[in-house]
Amino acid sequence: MCQEFKSPLSKRARAMLEDFQASLEQGISKIGVLNDEEIHQAELERVFGRNWNFLAHESEIPNKNDYVLRSIGDDTFIVNRGSDGEIRVLLDVCPHRGASICRAAKGSSSHFQCPYHGWTFKNNGDLVGTPSFKDAYSGLDRKEWGLTQAPRVEIFHGFVFATLDENCPDLKESLAGMGWYLDMIFSLQDEGMEVLGEPQRFIIKANWKIAAENFSGDDYHLMTLHKSTYDIGVMQIPLRENMKGYHIQAGNGHGISFSIDLESKDPLFFYYPEEIVKTFNLENLSEKQLELARGSRVCVGNIFPNISFLMLPLSPDPKNVPPTPLFTWRVWQPKGKDEIEVWNWFMMYKNTSEEFKRASYRAAMASFGIAGTFELDDAIPWETITRNAKGTFAKKNMKLNLQMGMEGMGTAKQVMEWPFPGIAYYPRYEEGNQRHLYRHYLKEMLSEE
Amino acid sequence: MKVPFDLYQEGIEFFLQEAELIDDGKFREWLELMTEDFTYRIPVRVTREKAAPTEFSDLASHMDETKNTMEMRVIRAYSEYNWAEDPVSRTRHFLTNFRATMDENAENVIQYKTNFLLYRGKFDLPTFQFLSGERHDTIRRVDGQWKISKRLILLDHATIPMNNLAIFI
Ligand code: FES
Ligand SMILES: [Fe+2]
Repeated sequence: MCQEFKSPLSKRARAMLEDFQASLEQGISKIGVLNDEEIHQAELERVFGRNWNFLAHESEIPNKNDYVLRSIGDDTFIVNRGSDGEIRVLLDVCPHRGASICRAAKGSSSHFQCPYHGWTFKNNGDLVGTPSFKDAYSGLDRKEWGLTQAPRVEIFHGFVFATLDENCPDLKESLAGMGWYLDMIFSLQDEGMEVLGEPQRFIIKANWKIAAENFSGDDYHLMTLHKSTYDIGVMQIPLRENMKGYHIQAGNGHGISFSIDLESKDPLFFYYPEEIVKTFNLENLSEKQLELARGSRVCVGNIFPNISFLMLPLSPDPKNVPPTPLFTWRVWQPKGKDEIEVWNWFMMYKNTSEEFKRASYRAAMASFGIAGTFELDDAIPWETITRNAKGTFAKKNMKLNLQMGMEGMGTAKQVMEWPFPGIAYYPRYEEGNQRHLYRHYLKEMLSEE
Repeated sequence: MKVPFDLYQEGIEFFLQEAELIDDGKFREWLELMTEDFTYRIPVRVTREKAAPTEFSDLASHMDETKNTMEMRVIRAYSEYNWAEDPVSRTRHFLTNFRATMDENAENVIQYKTNFLLYRGKFDLPTFQFLSGERHDTIRRVDGQWKISKRLILLDHATIPMNNLAIFI
């Protein structure tokens, strides 16, 4: 980004953020940042413009020329596989006068033609057609007028990420400790994961940070907000048992939470059935990763800023169907200060039977996503928090409690010799992951580099 | 085959009564209108180029239910902790453009295509939401009673303008 164009933080926004920063280490967060136009605008540049954003999974564009249309913040990108097989991320803005060149959310095309004056681009971004070239543009160097590419693109276990900041550290480095945990999940099978169909998309009138906070490690809300899922038998790991596990501050604002039974004699592997466990190549994992995977029942996490995921066994039909492991991966795309578009993918290990994939999809859709018996309830408090954050009085005066698990608060303790990356706490009655998220968030927002 | 007028009318009457049960929140009574092999699916819709054969995903769904899973949802709806729908959404079904067909060898089965508009309002908010789409329903006469055996809901939305689907269409 051209430095001169970077908007400075207003005095007011800076004061709000500094006020938050000053109280965070006492476990106090400020509601005001959850619904504020200036903060939102600054986030688009300072958070979404600078970090790695998830756009698509390779399996969504398996063939040459396949594309999907995706977003980073408020910019739209074509993510495609070129005629040469290479994956690219192209800004969907025609360099002639700025119209969109891609009209569908998904498709297959070797070229994109702008509807306005007909400039035509190969799917590697090259400008190859300008109508009436001689009369209109004979002096034009077409090489200079191709589509704009996202400054950097990296693929991690098939997950396509892009950053709009040339100087962002490599993805692996940005993921910090989180990379180790994701490696554990995604390399269980040589083939990795694939998407099960297109993502669900829906709108929640809430600020993205509330969702990010929740998936960072808010296990505490299961007892109340998701109580109905216990009553109907969807969730079968007993509530208190499920709180046994670890919160891990995985660096750079990333947070992950495991429900775990490291004492279990039998390997748990998220309760994948034996025929699936047989397809795992455990040699891909380090000894430590294997130890963790063996004891894992549930894992939920948020990759800073707004990518969340969850793996656990749930039953779509408790009377007739046993709990089936599922994997959901989602982006909380900020559509404004008080609105997110949820992009929700369900995924599964590629080398599993169609039957198992269908079973996993059913378990996933029944519990998570727009009609999931878990997720049905989440939007209710998320939307009221967002509305409350706009209150003139609340914005200025309201402090919120993020103290669970701090010294003298509850039973959680730091695990001193944590054998895996990050800083861990046990059990999960703890909000260190959320504080870690905000600590990093505030650092990025206040940075003037 | 063209559905005889009386039968056509009977089907419409059935759907109007059924919608009333949903809008009145009488979900247990609603369950009784489903055959044992009932299915209910809302496929994900994806914006595609005009030449694409369909916009509806064959893999991805928002809901894909059986009678059992609907029962579970209804039990959840009546549970003490139905935060999503307590207070309940005010829903209103508007059903129009009923188009019916039947197979001449199966006089106890009728297929309907119906347009729907579903209003949803909640709390004291002056804002509200609509879902629009087409329903492909199959009804079957079981022991003299019409029941729904299949409901496929083709939404007019690729991005659903709602925060959840804790309601029934
Ligand atoms: S705006 Fe695209 S060709 Fe003119
Ligand atoms: Fe939740």
